[in-house]
Amino acid sequence: MTHVRMTHEAREKWGDAFTYLSAIVIAAFFLTPLAWLLSLSLRTRQEVFLGASRFIPKRPTLDNFAQILSDPTFLLYLWNGLKLSALGGLGCLLVAAPAAYAFSRFWFSGKSALMMTILAFQMISPLVILVPLYRYMARLGLLNSHFGVTMVYIAIGVPMCTWLVKSAIDNIPKSLEEAAAIDGCSRFGTFWRITLPLAAPGLASAFILIVILNWSQFLIPFLLLNKDAQLPISVAIFNFAGTSNASSTQVLAAACLVAVVPAIIAFLLLQRMIVGALTAGAVKG
Amino acid sequence: MPTTTAAAIGAAQRRVAGPSLARRIEANPFTWLVPVAVMLGVFYLYPILDVFRLGLTNASLVGSDERYTLVTLRAMFENPALLDILKTTFVFTIASVIGQQVFGLAIALIVMRGERRKLRGMVALRTIVLIAWVIPGIANGLIWQMLFSEAPFGAINSVLRMMHISPVAWLSDPNIAMLSAVISNVWRGTAFSMIVFYAALKAIDPTLYEAASVDGAGHLQKLRFITLPQLRAAILVNSILVTIQTLNTFDAIISLTGGGPGRATEVLSLFTFNTVFRNYDLAGGSVLSVLMLVISLVLALFYASFMPRREASE
Repeated sequence: MTHVRMTHEAREKWGDAFTYLSAIVIAAFFLTPLAWLLSLSLRTRQEVFLGASRFIPKRPTLDNFAQILSDPTFLLYLWNGLKLSALGGLGCLLVAAPAAYAFSRFWFSGKSALMMTILAFQMISPLVILVPLYRYMARLGLLNSHFGVTMVYIAIGVPMCTWLVKSAIDNIPKSLEEAAAIDGCSRFGTFWRITLPLAAPGLASAFILIVILNWSQFLIPFLLLNKDAQLPISVAIFNFAGTSNASSTQVLAAACLVAVVPAIIAFLLLQRMIVGALTAGAVKG
Repeated sequence: MPTTTAAAIGAAQRRVAGPSLARRIEANPFTWLVPVAVMLGVFYLYPILDVFRLGLTNASLVGSDERYTLVTLRAMFENPALLDILKTTFVFTIASVIGQQVFGLAIALIVMRGERRKLRGMVALRTIVLIAWVIPGIANGLIWQMLFSEAPFGAINSVLRMMHISPVAWLSDPNIAMLSAVISNVWRGTAFSMIVFYAALKAIDPTLYEAASVDGAGHLQKLRFITLPQLRAAILVNSILVTIQTLNTFDAIISLTGGGPGRATEVLSLFTFNTVFRNYDLAGGSVLSVLMLVISLVLALFYASFMPRREASE
């Protein structure tokens, strides 16, 4: 008996070792690209050409970061990226919250079919809608305007936002709303004054998630914005990569790093909420 | 006199109906759906209908007068490049979908095992994988270009050179470029599959495994007879999401290879983009957009047909 338990224990120990080994390999695969990016961004032009032998630069420098962060247009790109992402996220919440409330608190026939329909829009590539939208927005004078881009961001984020906010509202007990209704509060008043404040944590995680996704958005601003001063960071680094050459790789690396770090930080700060929201959605499928 | 009475009654009714009308409006669930309906209608439904219409015209992005014709449709399907593009898209999609799901499931299983054994660092592992997921697609392409680059600063080739192995033409050999594109896409996309499978694994009833242990089942048998069947719905849903996401992948390819070398990595979304916004062929691009929609829909229905029936409570 003891013998059996020992072998079982031994097998679990080997399993632990294997788990750790795999974890290290996986972590290496996922971290290497970012580590390489960091390494390049800290090098001088000479060291960039020495490749992997200078993975840890002999003469690390912050000049590349200084160069891009002292460039007012680069800061403007960052600001544009943040502005568009945040406005898109805010607009998304405003549009999606009433629908999420209805899906959570009303019962009506065709409700789940309607929810699936809304989710199905998520499957459509932004490219497909941009093909006709481009000309349409040109006629409306919405090309080269942050307003136009924000509207498209909102539309693209709305399906997912509706689902996220609905599950946030699902988690709020109905009793407070019922009490407010008995006190004569209108349904909309209840929604605005009771439901939304109680759902604030869920709204916040939905907002952050949408903002992170908007930050990566490329195609919409790439097509709808032409003026350099309006571009968000994602388009700017793509344009920069197109004009840069081998001798400015270290600057491009620094620019890329500056573009990805805000998303990573936002994600790390709110990881628990975001993973919670994602897994809640995933379980429901 | 009768008219004034009627008017008075009407006014009185309106006064009485005033608050109750507002109440009735807000008691109707569809009122609450208006903002979403407007946004989706203006930015999705209308454009989609327009895409179908434009596909039957000879519209160009720059010109304004267009007429209805089937010439574009025929020209697009007779275009010999289209078959190659579809093949490329198929290879890219299927390799990414399999790669992301197998890898994602493996990581989820490792994290689950680590958590069961209370090993340290499992949250860190999950976080590291998820970080790749928040990297913008454009940055993803640019970062992997720095890894695959055949210039001296290319990470992989410079390591190979240090080990005296001849460098690989990651981005300039047509066959290898596809592999490179898949690797970079798997790097960024695996996190999503991992988190879906992680959530699904947590939802499996642990007594199933206990019963299997009592029956003397080994790890592989448990995986084969409990885990995979229990994950069936998650795998199918995830397949739909990942397939469509991969079909729509555009930014990570345009910034990694630009579709090259030649057309080796020009997938359907990139081809559509080039048709409309480089060749100004709005009608041709609309035909391709419809093709993208149809492929997505057919694949989603195909996966859904394997779906286990949901319980009545759903």
